[in-house]
Parts: sequence; structure tokens; C-alpha cells
Amino acid sequence: MLRLTRYFRTAALTLLLPTLLLPGLALSASAEFGTAVEQQTRAGWHQGIGRGYQALASDSETLLQQARAYCQQPSTEARNALESNWKQAFGAWQKVRFVDFGPVETNNRAWQFQFWPDPKNLIARKADLLLKDGTAVSAETVGQAGVAVQGFPMLEYLLFDTRFNTGDHALPTKTSCQLLIQVAAHVVDNSQQLVADWSEFKPRYLATGNYTHATIRAAMTALEVAEERRLATPMGLRGNGKRSVYAADAWRSGSSLASIGASVDGLQKYFLPGLEKLLNEQGESDLAQRINKQFGEVQEHFPAMDLALKPLLEDDNAYRSLQGLYVDVSQLATLVNGEAAARLGVIRGFNASDGD
Amino acid sequence: MSVSRRQFLAAFGGAMGATGLSLAGCSLLPAKADSLKSREYVGASKLNDGSYAVQSLNSDGTARWQTLVEARCHGGCFRPHTAQVLIFEWRPGWWFHVFDSRSGERLAHIKANDGEHFYGHGVFSTDGRYLYTTASRYQRGNGIIAVYDAEARYARVDTLDLKGIGPHELQLHPVGQTLVIALGGIKTHPDYDRIKMNRESMAPALMLVDRTSGEIRARFRPSHHQLSCRQLDVTPQGHIYAGYQYQGPNDQAPPLIARYRSGRFDEIGFTDDVQPQLANYIASVCAHPQNDLVAVTAPRGGLALIFEGATGRILRNEAITDGAGVEALAGGNFLVTTGQGKLIRMGTGAPAQELATLPLHWDNHLV
Repeated sequence: MLRLTRYFRTAALTLLLPTLLLPGLALSASAEFGTAVEQQTRAGWHQGIGRGYQALASDSETLLQQARAYCQQPSTEARNALESNWKQAFGAWQKVRFVDFGPVETNNRAWQFQFWPDPKNLIARKADLLLKDGTAVSAETVGQAGVAVQGFPMLEYLLFDTRFNTGDHALPTKTSCQLLIQVAAHVVDNSQQLVADWSEFKPRYLATGNYTHATIRAAMTALEVAEERRLATPMGLRGNGKRSVYAADAWRSGSSLASIGASVDGLQKYFLPGLEKLLNEQGESDLAQRINKQFGEVQEHFPAMDLALKPLLEDDNAYRSLQGLYVDVSQLATLVNGEAAARLGVIRGFNASDGD
Repeated sequence: MSVSRRQFLAAFGGAMGATGLSLAGCSLLPAKADSLKSREYVGASKLNDGSYAVQSLNSDGTARWQTLVEARCHGGCFRPHTAQVLIFEWRPGWWFHVFDSRSGERLAHIKANDGEHFYGHGVFSTDGRYLYTTASRYQRGNGIIAVYDAEARYARVDTLDLKGIGPHELQLHPVGQTLVIALGGIKTHPDYDRIKMNRESMAPALMLVDRTSGEIRARFRPSHHQLSCRQLDVTPQGHIYAGYQYQGPNDQAPPLIARYRSGRFDEIGFTDDVQPQLANYIASVCAHPQNDLVAVTAPRGGLALIFEGATGRILRNEAITDGAGVEALAGGNFLVTTGQGKLIRMGTGAPAQELATLPLHWDNHLV
């Protein structure tokens, strides 16, 4: 076993070598690259995630252009196209949302793309605050307004919130359009920067063995979040036991399920090939096949992608289709977070994830 | 004990000289060393059904009482000269609980003041009257020590401003007047989940603060501004060991242990084969009161280490999955809890021994 060998080597060395005392600033780089297969795996992951980031940047750019076009010349067609562009770009973000390390950590970029959960409804409160006195909304306003303003949920609020869309500030009023365009531009800036930084990050990602497990842990967290917070909680399977669409993400646009579908799709496209490679290397090709098959099951049993979550929660018959989906996602999470993680020696425990 | 009281006072005098500190001396002897035998241990936990509980244990790992609580809890402290144990909610914590340490009966349930939340740790004055707990005035993010009077039903009696952000674990220096505080430096706000809002401008520190006047007597800075100082312990001799959590990139492996000993603040970095294995995250620190050993858990790296305080030399390196709390056992060993419910005895003389597994997930600290 790789882990065991490493441990014994570690134990032996620590007994032999004196420790270093580092009174000043000294960051030592990890000397460990991981096995050749791990390095190839990371190379594949880097390429896949990079493609995902590029799609996010390009879909965000389309969204921004359409926001400008709509605000310049509002029409039903332009509005429909804009809403569809939002869903497309938000879906692109969902596909890479599992990556929780590297440049997406800089300046809380992940939180900037999607501030969630939002139990205090800060999105609506912030929007109302920014729009109430008609002051012009600049790039600087958005830059300083905090993560609740800077990403997809704010755009979703402007485009889809029922109360907002029947109020005085509904699009395409001037300041709401300014906010829409500036937030979309902020998303474009962030996504372009992310593409550039991810590319620059490549040598470090490839040279650092720790990133193999970090990448697997990221996918594990994403599966757990999908199972627990994006499905079980709104389905009323956790907490107070009440079904509530407001506990889901993207409920305003009715995209809660579509966005989970996109997240699973992203994991399948960008993460799964590398995971299979690692499992095959460990002689676990049977498990690799079962995981591959389970990804297929989830995608196959997904309720129609354009279905909103709300009506499914309100109708007991429809709710059954959600239960089926929940079971599929849950089984996928068990296979990856339980079996695969154990075989690959990946640790992500109660305290290891966010214990402090 | 390897250090006599006279040596200790001499050493501490040196410390005061070297740092200009004037820790008012009194004749208190540390009680911790003598109180290990037959003591009970208490920890916060999550049960398999998703609910939260506080669990009490004997030193052999057998269970004593378990009391359900409303929300996830974190660290705590015994109240000296009483049979009370306090446990604080996990940050952002809105409550702390006072339990009868013999039965687990909840004696009091104290809510944070409006506009404040707890960070999950507290410590008492040696007479058991005043409780000092780390907290935040979260609108502005000011780190404070909130002071409660246990003899007045835990009335809030004082606030010490730390002029910093994110205090976490704290202990009382054995002389009894100075609080030793790990200041994490990370700004969060309860409306914004657990988002770290100031990674670029963090100013973490190991702080010494007078518990009566609130005077900040020392503020030691880690060697990098993203080394968040979070956990610590103090020996009866006044040696301080703190554990960091590094907020920078995964491919860096800076030192994660700070030491204040004999008037000198420094950091202990381990060799290149060990340091990266800690995965930039220390969950708990325990300095044994009966020897010169320090144990730390590193759940992200799946390790627990015992090192010698004076030299920083590692004497035991154990692969322990999701290690959480660690406390001293009578005789020189340590008791380690894990996120998988395990209770493990760890020492330098023999491989770690699993004592028991309870059907729960231990939180980061053992009290």
C-alpha cells in the first residue's frame, strides 16, 4: 500500500533527522510530485477544468453582450434570449463549481460567482439598497458591494424575481440595467481572470502531489453538497422536515434541478476520467466501472431539466421523481466519497473538512 | 515534573526580562498536573442521525453521560472548584452550555449578547468565578474577550477589546493573571456563511492580555500573514504552543507550530517529509503538564504528532484519520479523539492504541 509505505518512510525519517527551526519567513515547497499516474491524472484534470473555465468565460461574455443589447433596445425576444443566456452561463459555472482550490480561491471568487446559501435574503436586500435612490451603478459600486452583489444570483434576482419584476425598479429601468450590466461585466472579468490564472497555475498543480487528493476532496464535497444541501434540505429530509424551495439554489429562475444536473455533468466530464485512471491503477477497475455507470443512472433519472423544483415539492406524485433522483445522487456520493476515497486513501472527515 | 517550581519561576523571570512583560507574580501552583488522575473528559460531537451532543468519557475511553444540544458545539472548559463543565457552540456560536460534569444535566444555557457571537472556546479565572470567552462584534468584526461572572448566573460583566480579528482558543497562563489568546485574524460575518473576507489583509497573532485591565502585553506575529493562529495550550511552566492553519496555496508548507518559551517566540518547522503531510491545518494542540511533550492533530493530513517541546523533535508520528481533540492522560500519554468516533491512546513509548469507538463524530477539541 502506497500510504503505508509513505508512512513508514516518514516515521523513519522523522526519527533520524533533526527538525528545522524557522524563525523567519520560509515557505518550503512540497518535494513530492506523486506517482507518474497521479501526475498524468492531474494533467488531464487541469486540461478539463481549463476547458470548463473557458466555457464559463465565453458564456458570460455572451450574457454581457445580450444584457447590453436588451437594455439598449428592450423587447420580449431580447429578454427571452437574455434569460436563456443567463441559464447557459450559470450552467457553465455549475460544471466547474466543484473546484474549490487554486485561483478560484483568490478573492473569494467562487463566492463572487455564486453567493449561496442566502438565508437572510441578502441578494434582495442589497439590490433594493443599491437601486432605491436612483444613484448610478458603476463598476466600482459593484466591485465594493460584496459577494452577494457580484455574481449569478444577483443577475438571477434582476431577471427572474417575481416581486422585483412587478415593482418600480423592474428591468429595463435605467439603474437596474446599469446594475445588470455592471454585475455581468464583473462576472466576465472574474471568469477571464480565472482562465488566465488557471493556466498560470498549471506548473504548480502538476508539480504538487497534494493536489491529487485536494481535487478528489473537491469532487467529494460537491457530491455531498448536491446530496445534502441542494436536494435533501429543500426536500424536507433534513432540519425541520419541511419542504422548501428557498433552501435550494437558483429557485428564482426555476433552475435548481437543472443546476444540479449541470454540476453532475461537470463532474462526469472534467473529474471522472481522472478518477477512473487512479482507480484502474490501483486495480480497482470494477469500482471505476460502477462509478461510471452510476453517473449514467443519475443523468438518466434526472427529472426533465426544465422542470422547476417548486411544483415537484408541492405535488406528492411528482415528489417521488425527486426521491428517485435523491437516491441516485446519494448512491453516487456513497461510491465516490466512501468506496473510492477509501481505496485511494483520501481523507475527508468531519473535522478535516471544516472543523474549526 | 522535570522542572522544579524554583526553576520555573527563574525561567519565567527571564521571560519577563526578555520581553518587557510584567506578569504580576502570585504563588499559584498549576493544578492541572495533579488533577489528571481519574478525571473525566468531555467533547462536542455529531451523532449519526445528524443531531449534536456533548459526550463525557473516562480516561479509558468508556462513555459516561451524553446530553443532546440544539446546535454543533466545539470547545469548552471545566469550571475550577466545581462540578461544572462549559461547552461552546461552534462558530458562529450563539450560546454556551453549562453542564453538571457528573450527570450531564444542563444547568444553564447562556446566549451571546446582541451583535456578538462566540468562537467556541472559553477559560476560567483560577478561582472559578470569571469566565473569559472569545467572541466577535460581528458588524465590524472586532475580536473581543467577553467576560462573565459565574457567581452571578453568568452575568456579562466585562469586555476586553483585542484590537484584532478572529480570536479562537484561549488559555490562562498558570500565574493566573494573563490570558493567552490565539488570534486567527480571519474576518467572517454570520450572514455570509463561513466566508473568509480578508485573506489578503489578515493580521493573526499569539496574544498575551491582562485579564483584569485588558492591557495587551504582547502580540507575536506568525512568520506569514496568512498563518491563522487558532489553537494553543500552556504548560504549568508557562511554555506556550500554538497551532496554525495556513490560508495560502496548497503547494506551500510553512511552519504550523508557534512556541513561546523562555522569553522567546519562534516557530517549529518539521522536516520536508513531514511538514507538507500536515496539509496546512492543525486542529488541536495539547502540551502535557507532566513532561515536555506536545501533541497535535492534523486531520487534513491524517496525522497526529508528538514532539518534544524544547527541541521540536518529533518523537511519534501516527497515521490517524480525521484526528480531532487531544488531551493529556495521567502518566504522560495523550488521549486523541477522531471524526470517526475513535478514542486513541498515544504516547512516545508504544504505537497508538485504539481504546474504543463510539457511534458519533468528535468535534475538534477534547476538554
